[in-house]
Amino acid sequence: MWQYIIRRVAVGLLMLLALTVLIFLLLRLTPGDPIDAYINPQVPMSASDLEALRVRLGLDQPLPVQYLAWLRAALEGDFGYSIQRGGTPVLPLVLDRIGPTILLMFSGLAIAIVVGIGTGILSAVRRNTTTDVSLSVLSFIGVSSPAFLTALLGLYGFSVMLDWAPSGGMLTPGEPFSIGDLLSHLILPACLLSIAHSAMIMRYMRASLLEVLSQDYVRTARAKGVREFWVIVKHAVRNALLPVITLIGSTIGIAIGGAIFIESVFNWPGMGLLMVNAVTRRDYPVIMCATLLTGACVILVNLLTDIIYAAVDPRIKVS
Amino acid sequence: MQRRCFGRLIMAGIVLAASALTIVPAMAQANKTITGGFDVGPGGFPGNFHPLQATAGFTWLSTYYEPLVIYNQDLSEIVGALSSDVSVSEDSLRYTFKLVDAKWHDGEDFTSADVKFSLEFAKNPASGSLFAARLADIASVETPDEKTAIVTLAKPNPAFLAILTQIMMLPEHLLGAKDPAELANSDWWSTEPVGTGPFKFVRYVSDQYVELAAFDDYRNGRPKVDRLINRYFANAAAAVAALKAGEIQFTYVEPDDAKTFEGNNDFRVIEGDSYVINYIGFNHKVDLWKDLRVRQAVMHAIDRKQIIESLYGGAAKLASCGYVAPQIVPEGLNDYAYDPEKAKALLAEAGWDQIGGGQTIPWLTYYNSPQVGNVMAAIQAMLAQVGINVSPRAVDVPTYNGIVQSSDFDQFPLVYAGAQNGPNPASLNVNLNPAQIPPAGNNIMRIDMPELTEAIEKAMAETDTAKANALWQKVCSVMNEQLPWGSMWVASRYGVTSAKLKDFFWTPAPAGGPYQAYPEKWDIAP
Repeated sequence: MWQYIIRRVAVGLLMLLALTVLIFLLLRLTPGDPIDAYINPQVPMSASDLEALRVRLGLDQPLPVQYLAWLRAALEGDFGYSIQRGGTPVLPLVLDRIGPTILLMFSGLAIAIVVGIGTGILSAVRRNTTTDVSLSVLSFIGVSSPAFLTALLGLYGFSVMLDWAPSGGMLTPGEPFSIGDLLSHLILPACLLSIAHSAMIMRYMRASLLEVLSQDYVRTARAKGVREFWVIVKHAVRNALLPVITLIGSTIGIAIGGAIFIESVFNWPGMGLLMVNAVTRRDYPVIMCATLLTGACVILVNLLTDIIYAAVDPRIKVS
Repeated sequence: MQRRCFGRLIMAGIVLAASALTIVPAMAQANKTITGGFDVGPGGFPGNFHPLQATAGFTWLSTYYEPLVIYNQDLSEIVGALSSDVSVSEDSLRYTFKLVDAKWHDGEDFTSADVKFSLEFAKNPASGSLFAARLADIASVETPDEKTAIVTLAKPNPAFLAILTQIMMLPEHLLGAKDPAELANSDWWSTEPVGTGPFKFVRYVSDQYVELAAFDDYRNGRPKVDRLINRYFANAAAAVAALKAGEIQFTYVEPDDAKTFEGNNDFRVIEGDSYVINYIGFNHKVDLWKDLRVRQAVMHAIDRKQIIESLYGGAAKLASCGYVAPQIVPEGLNDYAYDPEKAKALLAEAGWDQIGGGQTIPWLTYYNSPQVGNVMAAIQAMLAQVGINVSPRAVDVPTYNGIVQSSDFDQFPLVYAGAQNGPNPASLNVNLNPAQIPPAGNNIMRIDMPELTEAIEKAMAETDTAKANALWQKVCSVMNEQLPWGSMWVASRYGVTSAKLKDFFWTPAPAGGPYQAYPEKWDIAP
């Protein structure tokens, strides 16, 4: 068992190393570097000042030297300074963003689960009625709406036109922290993030429940005289939820993707906004650290899964 | 009973959701606050706090830092800021600054020692300063007394005071003992900076906003508002949404957005000169553009007046050379009137009537706004009518800079770009002087025209304003005649404020200024 874990940890570390090399090379292959991002094309800059900046940032060194210098510092926990943020240390900058992203992502997912399951049940129970058809049409629209479009329309409609929610940010600037303020900023991006997921969950829930409702044990429950509400809640929904739970688990990755768009539109200070800003401004240290951290999370989760499998399934140990 | 419970559950959920939606931030502000998107648009530099590493964003920086001298409101003259008087010796080598009585935000007096420290710090490349080369002419800084600083230059530099407008004074008593190299990457700038401006730094919430508070001991009186907040936005459209929602009171806006505020009494639209000349850049390393007649043909093929009228709504000035300021533009320039037949004839004369040979010519730009997209599409159609088929390609700024600084000329035979042309026209030098051809500088179109170079260098060396204007007129004539690039127009830029703001001044200065904005006078109605 221990041998297996050590082997998996070693493979995980090698994958992380490969990831850093890959990201490092990909960044250097894109046109433009941090200095190019620094130059406003309309503002005259002295070439020698820019060269001094290039030297100070180590961008004048050969690529292998740059990579090894970054790796050596990273192994000591020093991920450097953000190039475009006046010397802000990268690690705390990236760690600060994890919380807001998780908050937004899981709030959106929670709304999607409640709404998706609720409307899925309603749609299945009222099969082929106007309610069912209307919900199905809405779900198709929801599934096919790109996140950036729903975000922009939502921002314009609910914030600018109706003034129901703030237009962006996570807290009101200059105000002391309050849960109410946080919720008022969270509710709109979270709802918009949940649209596509709600629609997907609704489709799965409807299909799954319709299948369960035709099972013998449901018929038996009805025959015993159990009220229809309890037949659905206790007997049908529980069983119909199993494939939906699998779906929810597998769509967390999509939620992260959607959160990036939503964060950009609503200026939500999460990993998505940080990454988008870092890429457009070629902020190499931030991109490297954020990618490494995300990659480490994915590899760690996979590693833990493998270890748990190995612990419960003796065949894994053999293989 | 059970059905009722289920219904109650649903209702509770709806009530909870509705209450969350209607929780409006507690806006009961005990004090006056102005919130704006001060770093939105081309004049902004969000996230930068080191004033000597700024390439823009000076509108905001000058609310808590101050330079020795500053441009006045219409950017026509340089006047005192932390200096009450500036005298220049006859040989233009010695600048004597008499300093005002000012205090740093921590209560210490501002003295000539701070001036000496700031200029030497800014001249030191180790400090991370992007002004080091531009201040290289400083030979010494003397401080005969606490209120006098004398700067001696190694050689005359007519642009010296213009450069000083962007050099913010820094506190020697706080930074003097620190290693300049450490300060290049220090968080001091974003956590506890100390300036002499009307507002003092309170906090920066990463990627969200910067908060300042009124400086009670400001020499021109305490600011009228208690707090100034600079909110960050991912783009100008998001800032417009916040402005319309009443969350902020000011932002830069794109020209198309500015139109949506016209006639709305809740807002005030501010229009100003962009000080950016838009041009069609001919890559002089590409054979296609080496014949002057081909460049002339491009100019005659484009109906610039029509584009200004229909796509800019008249809010742009036609340019005949690199600038439009009347005192430096001579009479009798070629206006390159729209004449497609003449364009075709010129191409035929030059032997380029089969220009492109059936291939389209890549046309690179870093502009990504819908308005510029429309402008480029219109020009594309006009050029096609005379047989010049171009293919616009919009990329982000780093990609653009990466391409135009490279030697892969096939990637950018033609560009659509902008160049700062004021308040000091000498800023065009880096775009036109062969000494600035990459990697040495920013002459990205590889322009090498001896007559033009000589004219620019003469104009830049002249310290007498009247004579300098005459020399800049000569530069304009040469540009108009030889077409180093195809000058198009100087468009207006816009800001929008809430009608609640009083005595608020903003102008779309290049790099955000700085200029005399008098933030201590800004006020907001309840």
